[in-house]
Amino acid sequence: MIGALLSYGAFFMTTALIYAIVCLGLNVQWGQTGLFNVGVAGFVAIGAYVSALLTTPAAPGRFAGFDLPIAIGWLGGAVIAGLLSFLLGALTIRLRADYLAIATFGAAVVIHLCMLNLQSLTGGPFGIGFIPRPFASYAGEPLEFGFLNLALLAGVVLMLYLSLERLLRSPWGRVLRAIREDEAAALALGKNSIRFRLQAFAVGGAIMGLAGAAQAHFIGFIAPDNYQPTLTFQVWAMLIVGGSGNNRGAVLGAIVVWAVWAISGGAIAAIFPAGEQARAASLQIVLIGLALCAILLWRPRGILGEVKIVSRHLAGLSAQRAQPSFAVKDERLDGEKT
Amino acid sequence: MTAQALETRALVAGYERDLPIVRGVDLNVRAGEFVVLLGPNGAGKSTLVKAIAGLVPIHAGAVLINGEDSTFSPPHQKIRRGLAFVPQTENVFATLTIEENLRLAADILPNNVRARRIDELYAMFPDLAARPGRRAGQLSGGQRQMLAAARALIVAPSLLILDEPSAGLSPKIAAEVFARLQAINATGVTIVLVEQNVKAALAVASRAVILVEGEARHEGSAAELADDPIVAELYLGAAKAGA
Amino acid sequence: MSLQVVIDGLVAGAMIGLGAIGVTLTYSILRFANFAHGEFIAWGAYFALAVSGFLGVLAPSLATPIGPFSFGWSLPIAALGAIALTAALALLVDALLFGPLRAKGGAIIILVMASFGAALTLRNLLEFIFTSRPAYYAEGLQIALRFGGVRATPDALLCLGVAAIVVVAMRFLIAKTAIGRAMRATSENPQLAGLAGVDIRKIVRIVWILGAGLAAIAGIMVGLLVQIRPTMGLDLLLPLFAAAILGGIGSAPGALLGGLIVGLAESITVRLIGAEWRAAVAFVILVAILLLRPSGLFGRPE
Repeated sequence: MIGALLSYGAFFMTTALIYAIVCLGLNVQWGQTGLFNVGVAGFVAIGAYVSALLTTPAAPGRFAGFDLPIAIGWLGGAVIAGLLSFLLGALTIRLRADYLAIATFGAAVVIHLCMLNLQSLTGGPFGIGFIPRPFASYAGEPLEFGFLNLALLAGVVLMLYLSLERLLRSPWGRVLRAIREDEAAALALGKNSIRFRLQAFAVGGAIMGLAGAAQAHFIGFIAPDNYQPTLTFQVWAMLIVGGSGNNRGAVLGAIVVWAVWAISGGAIAAIFPAGEQARAASLQIVLIGLALCAILLWRPRGILGEVKIVSRHLAGLSAQRAQPSFAVKDERLDGEKT
Repeated sequence: MTAQALETRALVAGYERDLPIVRGVDLNVRAGEFVVLLGPNGAGKSTLVKAIAGLVPIHAGAVLINGEDSTFSPPHQKIRRGLAFVPQTENVFATLTIEENLRLAADILPNNVRARRIDELYAMFPDLAARPGRRAGQLSGGQRQMLAAARALIVAPSLLILDEPSAGLSPKIAAEVFARLQAINATGVTIVLVEQNVKAALAVASRAVILVEGEARHEGSAAELADDPIVAELYLGAAKAGA
Repeated sequence: MSLQVVIDGLVAGAMIGLGAIGVTLTYSILRFANFAHGEFIAWGAYFALAVSGFLGVLAPSLATPIGPFSFGWSLPIAALGAIALTAALALLVDALLFGPLRAKGGAIIILVMASFGAALTLRNLLEFIFTSRPAYYAEGLQIALRFGGVRATPDALLCLGVAAIVVVAMRFLIAKTAIGRAMRATSENPQLAGLAGVDIRKIVRIVWILGAGLAAIAGIMVGLLVQIRPTMGLDLLLPLFAAAILGGIGSAPGALLGGLIVGLAESITVRLIGAEWRAAVAFVILVAILLLRPSGLFGRPE
């Protein structure tokens, strides 16, 4: 009994930490740089599929299967996802802020389509199975297996967290924030400002790809249905709840929202009859959607908020502000200077 | 008659609450007056008139237009109370034609007077009447200012506020603008003018208010202030400090 | 290329175009890409389904098909109800979510994010109420008319006609009326529009009503010609954005033309490559237009 509980606990935490990695990636894009990615699920999927293709053994009827070590798979997943982010960013970053959102949304749609249709590469709707799992030799001992995986993921999250914190305080991170906070600084940097934001977008995408790869190897099989817009939405809710711009908030938000998700899923399973479960699951998303909107309205800084380096992220995101005549247009740049 | 066309009481305004640019300004403009707001760069002149028009948030104090409390009224309501405001830049709709710019503003008038008012404005600004189908974005600087003024005047405002209408214009056209403002004032329209061009402004205005650091520091008739060394000193001082 | 492909493309394009007009209007006045717009399409379709079903129960004679069409009078009547209800829904979402966020003066992108949250909420609410099973306005199959070698159902031809009328009406509204002038002025410079006497909040309400109303019409057409599903709006979202950007943000005729181009490209792709790649067409068009001419066919470069 206790053993089952413990191994469920390990499973729960491992899943939450995978989400935490996605959140950290999104935080680089949104929290640090103010770039809105509506295709998170697509980048996670790329990481998962690339890593799966690199590490699974060759199979008849399928194009890939290179039987490479897991670490190479993770790396490959991150690199390809980062590359794709770079290309999308290069296409849209100098345009209006929401074109990037639309483009990432479209990319996720197309990635999903590719997963479904490129049968010989992706296995189509059934996906890819028998993805090698880390510590597979312990698979017979659920408890040890669970905690070894948890330890691995915790290690990855810790390393990512430390390097991102370092990056955040490096000259590169300071420039990013300057660009996000202050249009004058962004203008002064000119073309470089686009380059910096593009780098951040690619780094964030690569981290999401890494998370996808980690998840694929943890679960052992992947299918297109795992990468629906709901995933994007969950990750967004996690980052917003935790506090965008704050790496600890990203990790905390992932754990809190995943807990709420798991508990509400359990409650729905307990309350609704078996026939109505699928229907009731949509209610879960409705509630989380309302929560996201409520947080945006009433507590836009999330639980932890942004660390002091930044003054007014949500209120002063560069030049593109909401409808000027509702809230008065900011004319400090062309008006009188005090 | 002692009616107040415009009154501000201890007005505090600015884009950010903790950093107001206008810091407690009391302004009284009687009906029919021509008041010019002077002051060094950054004194808050522009912010003051924008706050009056409803474009900059007001944090404390009050704005009364023709005796009516309009502190938190949106711009379109202030227009209906007799205010017209001509911003310094982006004061015409570039994607609309001249005709559309005028008709847009005339839409708040009763049906039966709209066409007549547009014709009257065309008579006042014949340059605009020549090619009413032209997009405002294609007009020259001077023509734009004319269109902006015509757009503001079409509703026959009792109070006209202009933010540096002469900025960027050649001295000759600027002089024309000032002459026109004087003529409009002569028909009974109260005018409040923000201006950098001190000499020209004092020549046409009846009274001047000098703003420094968001406060109304000096006030006097235009004739008095024209010779007052304090005016020159303010501008020179500001030029030194601001450089 | 057979004429059939063109007809199919035009019909699909008309539906995309109507939705895209709503997207482009809200985008140009409210200044954000509304990811919840697709949900107005789906809600419009379901509102019409509910109202026409209710009417059918109330007065069964209303459900008998009119002439060559597959539906009875209950559907056109329900369409009016659906337009009103969808508009009310859009106003409600604005009052609860977008309005307060605008009042705070936050970044545009917060509105985009909020619309993303609203989209998921609205879509899953539909799924909760109506389940994910597809629904139809009428049961029977319709016999297609033949013109030479081309087949088209009367329903499809009617939809094309309605789309054409709606677009001409929108064009007139925007180009010739006081409301249209005020909308264009607000789109260019909301502050100055306020100074010119335009009540911005009224314009915002009108834009929501127009956008949601057009979305409802598009949704009913999709429901009539394809099927009604909770994800129908999500599936249309990318084509809508592609059409709106292709046409140039703010241009209603541009949005319709963009919709027709996307629709035609989709139908050609289905014929040449296969139906499973239909959803990728809009993305390819989107990428192409962002690469070549981000301001769109009729837009002004910023």
